[in-house]
Amino acid sequence: MEPIIVTEDLKKTYRIGKVMVQALRGVNLIVQEGEFVAIVGPSGCGKSTLLHLLGGLTTPTSGKLFIDGNDFGSMSDGERTRFRRHKIGFVFQRFNLLPTLTARQNIRMAQHIQGNGFNPHRFQAIVDMLGLHDKLEQRPYALSGGEQQRVAFARAVICEPKILLADEPTGNLDSENSQVVLDMMRTINRSFRQTILMITHNPEAAAIADRTVRMRDGHIISD
Amino acid sequence: MVSKMIVANVLHRPIRTIVSILAVAIEVGMVLLVVGMTNGMLHEGAKRVEGVGADVMVQPPGASFFLGLTVAPMPIKLADRLQEVPHVQAVAPVLLHFNTTNGLNLMYGIDMASFDSVSGGFVYYEGGPLQHPDDILVDDWYAKANKNKLGQTLNLINHDFHVAGIVEHGKGARIFIPIQTMQTLMGAHDKASIFFVKCTDPGYTDDVVDSFESLLPKYQIMPVRQYMSMMTSNSLPALTDFVRAMICVAVGIGFLVIFLGMYTTITERTREIGILKSLGASKTYIVQAILEEAALLGGVGIVAGCIGTILARRLVMIYFPTISVDPLDGAWVLRATLLAIGGTLVGAFYPALRAAQLDPVDALAYE
Repeated sequence: MEPIIVTEDLKKTYRIGKVMVQALRGVNLIVQEGEFVAIVGPSGCGKSTLLHLLGGLTTPTSGKLFIDGNDFGSMSDGERTRFRRHKIGFVFQRFNLLPTLTARQNIRMAQHIQGNGFNPHRFQAIVDMLGLHDKLEQRPYALSGGEQQRVAFARAVICEPKILLADEPTGNLDSENSQVVLDMMRTINRSFRQTILMITHNPEAAAIADRTVRMRDGHIISD
Repeated sequence: MVSKMIVANVLHRPIRTIVSILAVAIEVGMVLLVVGMTNGMLHEGAKRVEGVGADVMVQPPGASFFLGLTVAPMPIKLADRLQEVPHVQAVAPVLLHFNTTNGLNLMYGIDMASFDSVSGGFVYYEGGPLQHPDDILVDDWYAKANKNKLGQTLNLINHDFHVAGIVEHGKGARIFIPIQTMQTLMGAHDKASIFFVKCTDPGYTDDVVDSFESLLPKYQIMPVRQYMSMMTSNSLPALTDFVRAMICVAVGIGFLVIFLGMYTTITERTREIGILKSLGASKTYIVQAILEEAALLGGVGIVAGCIGTILARRLVMIYFPTISVDPLDGAWVLRATLLAIGGTLVGAFYPALRAAQLDPVDALAYE
């Protein structure tokens, strides 16, 4: 089976003021469908940049990037946006829920943007799996960190993405909620063969993944 | 779903929402009130001239279209010559003066008998006709605005007058004094500014006008109906320019406030825009969402502006009874609506475009 993610000598350079920063200096990575991969490394090693490239939020400076057989490097912003809408889900450290909407509306927003209409069965299945029944009408400010992250997960998976990209999903949670989120991710991966890439500083979080990729200074140093 | 997000965003920032709605409401209100007041005062002034009951107006050569802005070079004895013209029933000489005490009001110096012959007589709410040189008649709107009572002393043109009567509005001016008194005060002995002429039958108006033009070739002789047709803003280019200038100011205010409001909103919601982009929202989606939000604010502002205009009109009529404001005109409500919506969308367009072009990575990292 063809890998779902392939990068070849992937590089990304940012301009910050007058300074050019090489965030990625040639990353070669292959991820198979259904894999749960943890990406670990010190701050500034390029983990988030790699995630942003894989999610199509930004473009590589050079190198190749194939997601589900699509050459991201040659796609326009509009094409990547369309691809992301249907095939990629994001979970962030800061949850990033829309503050003026309820949990239900936050989850449904993903379906609305995707444009395939509201799927009530999928919605209910996700809500059941994540235990969000009595939280759906609450706004984010009324939810705990763990609850917000569960809503964020629901939003990320409601549209059945090919890849789930999680940027430090337990970074803002206590250990108890962190465990809940990690268990949830493992369940999603095992039950639905969801491909997951997770950035983390937490060795315990990394331990639940099938595979750990270590990065330093914009390179993968071990896989 | 987008409408829920838009409504939630609008309610989440109540001060910004209220200010934006107010700006659009003021924009709409300014347009409608300026048009209503200019047309209202024009129409009301014209109706009062019509209310004199004359069929023809005779003014000296070079007289202003605006009654009261003309000096009084016509000898009052001209009335006798005009009276002799066939089909003339009555001629009323009037000396005009613009009074600037307690606002701007046109005063008529009249000969009671001839004015009654042309107008059919005043309707007296209180008191009676002018009988003494210092008598004054005021109409009911003027009396209400200035809290005048029967018997009260009024000082106008540096002269004390005695309120002899309060009459129904609608007969030319709001203030009437004896023509001889006006002549003395203005130093215009035996002079008149205008002759109001009533025909034996309105059907003879054109004949009478022709006769007058033969008799007084250089004088301004006009049927009252022609005067009435000229008293529209379209016939007064300067007034049209004034209205247009006020509309531009109003639209400019609305545009600037919406622009600033939406620009601030976009800055505050940078991260939210990043979230939407991470979910796969296209640039078009984001532009559309922001324009819809602006349109919602504009729509509510338009309704508030129309309601505000109706209320403002009522207040003006209560507290400034001599100022006329025409009621809301459907065509102008539509114009004001289109201007407001257009200004709102144009004002929101640049912020919307900016939002759509935000880098999602930067937006997500925004604090």
